[in-house]
Amino acid sequence: MLKKLLQFNWFTFLSMVALTVIGVIFIKSAGEARTVASLQDAWRLHAATALFGLILYFTLSFFDYRKILDLGSTPYFLISVILLVAVLAFGDKVYGGKRWLLFFQPSEVAKLAVILMVAKVFGRKRPTNTFLDLLHGLGLLALPALLILAEPDLGTALVLVPAILVMLLCARVCLRVLIPVLAACLLAAGAVLAAVHVAETTNNPQTKATIYRFLPLKEHQRARLRTFLNPEADPYGGGWNLRQAKISIGSGSLTGKGIGKGEQKFLGYLPPSVSMNDFIFCVLAEETGFVGASVVLALFGVLLLSGLWTALRCPDDRGRLTVIGILTLVFAHVYVNIAMSIGLMPITGLPLPFISAGKTFLVVLLAAFGIIQSVSLHREEES
Amino acid sequence: MKVSRWSILALAALFALGLAELALELHHVQVVDVAAFKADLAQQATRRMRKPGIRGRILDAKGGVLAESRARRDIVCDLSTFLKSGRLANTVTAVDDAITRLADALGFDRPASLTTERISRHMRTQSAVPLCVWRDLDETSLARFEERAASFPGFSVEAHAERIYPRGTFAAHLVGYTGRDRGTEDTDDVRMLAYELEMKGRAGLEAFYDDYLAGVAGAVRIPVDARGFKPRGAARDNIALGEMEERAAQDGLDLELTIDPDLQAIVEKQLVGVRGACVALDPRDGAVLALASAPTFNPNDFVPFVSAKRYRELSEDPDHPLLNRATAGLYAPGSTFKPVTALAAFRAGINPQDEYECTGVYKLGDMRLHCWNRWGQGPMDLHHAIEQSCNPYFARLGYLMGTNTLFRTAREFGFEAKTGIDYAPERSGSLVTPPFYPGLACQSAIGQGRLQVTPLQMAVECATLANGGKVFTPFLKKRADGSPPPEPVRTLTFKAEEIEYVRNGMRAVVEGLKGTGKAIGGLKVSCAGKTGTAQIGGGGKDTWIIAFAPYENPTIAVAMVVERGDSGGKTVAPRVHAILASIFGEKEE
Repeated sequence: MLKKLLQFNWFTFLSMVALTVIGVIFIKSAGEARTVASLQDAWRLHAATALFGLILYFTLSFFDYRKILDLGSTPYFLISVILLVAVLAFGDKVYGGKRWLLFFQPSEVAKLAVILMVAKVFGRKRPTNTFLDLLHGLGLLALPALLILAEPDLGTALVLVPAILVMLLCARVCLRVLIPVLAACLLAAGAVLAAVHVAETTNNPQTKATIYRFLPLKEHQRARLRTFLNPEADPYGGGWNLRQAKISIGSGSLTGKGIGKGEQKFLGYLPPSVSMNDFIFCVLAEETGFVGASVVLALFGVLLLSGLWTALRCPDDRGRLTVIGILTLVFAHVYVNIAMSIGLMPITGLPLPFISAGKTFLVVLLAAFGIIQSVSLHREEES
Repeated sequence: MKVSRWSILALAALFALGLAELALELHHVQVVDVAAFKADLAQQATRRMRKPGIRGRILDAKGGVLAESRARRDIVCDLSTFLKSGRLANTVTAVDDAITRLADALGFDRPASLTTERISRHMRTQSAVPLCVWRDLDETSLARFEERAASFPGFSVEAHAERIYPRGTFAAHLVGYTGRDRGTEDTDDVRMLAYELEMKGRAGLEAFYDDYLAGVAGAVRIPVDARGFKPRGAARDNIALGEMEERAAQDGLDLELTIDPDLQAIVEKQLVGVRGACVALDPRDGAVLALASAPTFNPNDFVPFVSAKRYRELSEDPDHPLLNRATAGLYAPGSTFKPVTALAAFRAGINPQDEYECTGVYKLGDMRLHCWNRWGQGPMDLHHAIEQSCNPYFARLGYLMGTNTLFRTAREFGFEAKTGIDYAPERSGSLVTPPFYPGLACQSAIGQGRLQVTPLQMAVECATLANGGKVFTPFLKKRADGSPPPEPVRTLTFKAEEIEYVRNGMRAVVEGLKGTGKAIGGLKVSCAGKTGTAQIGGGGKDTWIIAFAPYENPTIAVAMVVERGDSGGKTVAPRVHAILASIFGEKEE
């Protein structure tokens, strides 16, 4: 038992708990600017969800991760795919997208499923470095990603890509193909941005029409890219959210305005519909300043690096890949969420892990870190 | 193993670098550029609102109030109290309903102008500013509201300045009136919010001394939310941005006038029921003691806005009550111009003792200029010609001297130019308009021809003769105590005895046996004057008097015109007598 306590990754656990508590505090703070009672009390629900998630966390960490992968990952993956199909068929339409099935978002559930599935497939002892293996891995990514894209939820679909690609890279799956393909993808992304830039700055409507005939981007996606490329062009239209996010964060200065005293959220400049979800970092940075924002970044640093420590200590590929996949997903969320609110990336609707209000994502995250804890606790047992 | 420790370490480096980049960028936004973002926040989350200063009073020479600002009480609505989520129209409806409920509870009529469109426009353009619901309520109505105010959150009473003219029509043309207009001293790019349009002088001294009276509006910054409403509830309690004064309002100054209220009252009384004007000057410095035009109007009709109906009534009235005849009415001066002709005769080298036989008519070619005495007045010199206002005598003087000499002298008196009084509008009139024709000099010499003068110019002429040749600029704003007396703008280029000769003739008008203006006299002091009866087109006559007293050391010079009178001596002289008698008293027989 004492040995278990020593093997328990306290850094990951405590930083995770700290981030969740911070989440509860700032969901409460963002809720104070709202007039609807259910939103004012959203923090209670977040806290209750976190407690439920912690039960799941300890339950999963109690079991050997190998068993979880062997027995659980395939059914979990299949159920996720079924749920993703179901949400397209029966989901509630909210803000023009079908993302909700009853009380949860299947796309969040599916994120972990893909990671576990890929970890199981490529963590096997036999070699997995053929082109067919690569196709297998990409197929596991593409099936749920395309279903999520159909909701449509571009952000969630895209955020899976780096996690799975990093797992495939680490598992050295057919690197001779994977690396050139990755390079090509990066080039293509750059080319798309450049094309949008040309299309939006040209004075020739024909050029614009030609470019968009070959670029199947929806108008709101074009608008976001346009805003990202030139945020000053339209400060009251597409640039509004970014401008307000930057004013929130910037006016927080070094030490902030005090928890619960954020002017931007109270005055409604920070759009209330997103202040406790995708833009909660703005509330946090305004109220606690650079100091608070740095503390949060440091906690994420501890969470991610201590998680990687677990991966490093883990003697098998399955454990390492699982941990790497989960941590890369979390890192992608953190990076994209914060970067978009300071204009380093286009505005994308991605939550900040543990802090943004979002019950499904929180439960999935706690479950995922339960599995990381399981890797930490059970790494020396016989497989 | 497939997953090497190096790939895990590389991933760790990637995570660390990514987070470090975010920290660096956050440092830039929150520490390096913090001032810019704080400025952006202050810029978008506050609005500048105008707080006008209190407009100064207009006072007569004895401190009586002619115009002042009173506290007007309005019931206003704070829109943010009724803020509803969703479309703005929801909030408009909520405000609209609340006003109707309050109106029912108070038993007031809903103001007709307060339509939903008005409310909606107010909400879109200046939602942070209270909406005026009922304007200018009396004590009873206010008490009724105060009793129920607790059950109507969002409504309150606010006091704002409103112009009032306590004496109504008294000196109305002088005082003028105010209207409402946008502020002019907004130099900022962004227009300030304001509860109502700025009070602004529109006519008379209110307009002429507008800057002096108005003061300078102050500005306060008020916090607003993203929809432009005042923050309320938790938002108001938690935000650091408070209402702050950016610039204090400066109240306007009081304008003290030279107008003697008692004299002004007598003057106005003498003009009741006629069309005409009267100006009384202090010949020693040019101070305007009284200035009136009839018919007149009530400036309170213009506060805060003149109704279209009332304005049409006033502007289409054939008697033109809004016109200040004293400064902007143009008349032929008739015989009151003769003292100018008489002086010009000295310049032309004419001997005043030379006698001329008046036969009742002066002929020049086809032109006939009749004397008021059809039978002729017999032989007379200049003195008697002034006393008896002999047209043929003066027509002959005009013929002898020509227009050049006559008009040069007239210009010395200030004719054909604005007097420069601190008042607008003022007209300059004219001495002559082309074409010239033979006989123009003769007609001009008797104050007819093409002469166009204002009663104010006639008062200046009279004052100049009264003080022995000094032309002063008339003024209405009282000089500051201890300031040096004003210098005359000009001194007539005539010898003192020449001027005295004309003055003496004018005394004979009032006090001589055959004087045409004997009705002016009968005062305790000696008085001089000149009558005038100008023929105008259509057979009518504009009748004049200019007069000054006491003769030896004049303290008042009066010019009065009455349109469509019988003659200066009959129509106007008794009125001027009454005015002078109020100062000097009747002669005891």
